[in-house]
Amino acid sequence: MKVHIDTTRCTGHGLCEAVAEDIFEVGDDGMAHLLADPDADRRGEVDQAVAECPTRALSASG
Amino acid sequence: MTQHVTRSASGSPDRPYDELDISSRAFWSTSADVREKTFSLLRERGTVTWHPPFQEQLLEDPDDYGFWAVTRYDDLVEVTKRHEDFLSGPGILMENLPAELVEAAQSIIGMDPPRHTKMRRLVAAAFTPKQMRRIDDRIQANARMVVDDLEKALERDGGQTDFVAECAELLPMHNINDIMGVPDGQRQQAAHEMKVGTSWNDPEFVGETKEEVLGRLFQAMTFSHGLATSLAGERRENPTEDLISSLAHAEVDGETLTDEEIGAFFVLLTIAGNDTTRQSTTHGLRALTDYPAQRAWLLDDLEERMPDAVEEIVRWATPIMTFRRTAGRDCQLAGQQITEGDKVVMFYSSANRDESRIERPHELDLSRHPNPHISFGGGGIHHCLGNQLARFQLKALFTELLTRLPDLQAGEPELTPGNFLNVVKRMSCWRQS
Ligand code: HEM
Ligand code: SF4
Repeated sequence: MKVHIDTTRCTGHGLCEAVAEDIFEVGDDGMAHLLADPDADRRGEVDQAVAECPTRALSASG
Repeated sequence: MTQHVTRSASGSPDRPYDELDISSRAFWSTSADVREKTFSLLRERGTVTWHPPFQEQLLEDPDDYGFWAVTRYDDLVEVTKRHEDFLSGPGILMENLPAELVEAAQSIIGMDPPRHTKMRRLVAAAFTPKQMRRIDDRIQANARMVVDDLEKALERDGGQTDFVAECAELLPMHNINDIMGVPDGQRQQAAHEMKVGTSWNDPEFVGETKEEVLGRLFQAMTFSHGLATSLAGERRENPTEDLISSLAHAEVDGETLTDEEIGAFFVLLTIAGNDTTRQSTTHGLRALTDYPAQRAWLLDDLEERMPDAVEEIVRWATPIMTFRRTAGRDCQLAGQQITEGDKVVMFYSSANRDESRIERPHELDLSRHPNPHISFGGGGIHHCLGNQLARFQLKALFTELLTRLPDLQAGEPELTPGNFLNVVKRMSCWRQS
């Protein structure tokens, strides 16, 4: 699964990290980063992170 | 830094008010338990309800006919997430305060995108979980230090002392100022001035007459801005690793921040960083005193059980009781027609007791998991910047307290009247044995 983080939108709230801390991490630049391309069986959590991101910075495909 | 100044009035003279009172000083001078009886009735209305403005405000606004009360969990989350409909720029307090004061104090919490986005980015990195793990040793050392001080104060005062002054307010003060880079000595002064700055409904801090109150509030703000300006000036010359340095050197759209902007950030972080964590600790110790079986459960496996316990303590305390938004355009909310300019006030304490989302909400259950409380906000763009810092601090402090003083008891909390922060002014504590 491919996850895209739009860095023009992300403000580093870390709500994505709270959903799945082994997938998302807010780095020292104050932006979310992907720690790994998530496996297909993590779809539920990724979708939840996409839905919860307050700035709509996340999208997932595949 | 208010970008959207809504000129429309809030409501109109002919919109009928809900019959339940949540606007009087008397209502806000009772306890959270008493207020919850009213909120539970409002939640049963199944929608948002319209109420007259808060009574006897410092500033009367003739265009202010009232506010919508958001008391249900789902509605609070919705208002929080609809930041294009419900703006923060026109002000975030239930009450009207002088514009200059608000401007000097609110920084990003009173901004809307796109400015909010750019400004919040400047500080985000200093409060991430990753950064908190890096400074956790320091947070734990500060927790040990304040519990050392509490032990000394207990001894000095004959076994009974004020938990707020001797412990609860010290930990968040040291941690937020370590992050910002405010030296010892000055941090105590800044914390005191901001305690004044948030106590506009408490004669003990600000006096009785409107003139006294306004004078004292402006004095508190001038002090804090002066301190921030001088620290930022020093850091422009000699940059260090702290947050004031990064703000002093930051650029937004090619421009550095003004002293006023840095000052407002400083005031926001001082207020948000001190008061909320202090309230959680104080209400938390009181809850552990009221519910000894819960304390015993926690003591049985402190390390393993602490993370869940902290979440429940933050729900139980709900340190911030209200935040306001203002409708930026006509829209619908929970079946009601909202008009541009309407004030919309979110009642966090009510949403945290909403039985539709929190099971057995009136029970303190330190083992509650998951715990979907909204004490840090309903998941929007203003979601609490310091939520990880607060959680790390509360874990460190309750671990230290319950390891060294497992039988520490709390007396009756003395509350500051007001509708914004759930402030305990003083609360005595002593060891049971
Ligand atoms: C238990 C402790 C705390 C509670 C209950 C709390 C609660 C809140 C709430 C309810 C909001 C508004 C959320 C929204 O509008 O959706 C907020 C925002 C904020 N909090 Fe906290 N807070 C706590 C601790 C802290 C600490 C320690 C800091 C220190 C950095 C902090 C800094 C902030 C800031 C700067 C904002 C504004 C963020 C923005 O507008 O983007 N808070 N907090
Ligand atoms: S929730 Fe959205 S805005 Fe927040 S860090 Fe994650 S991607 Fe960025």
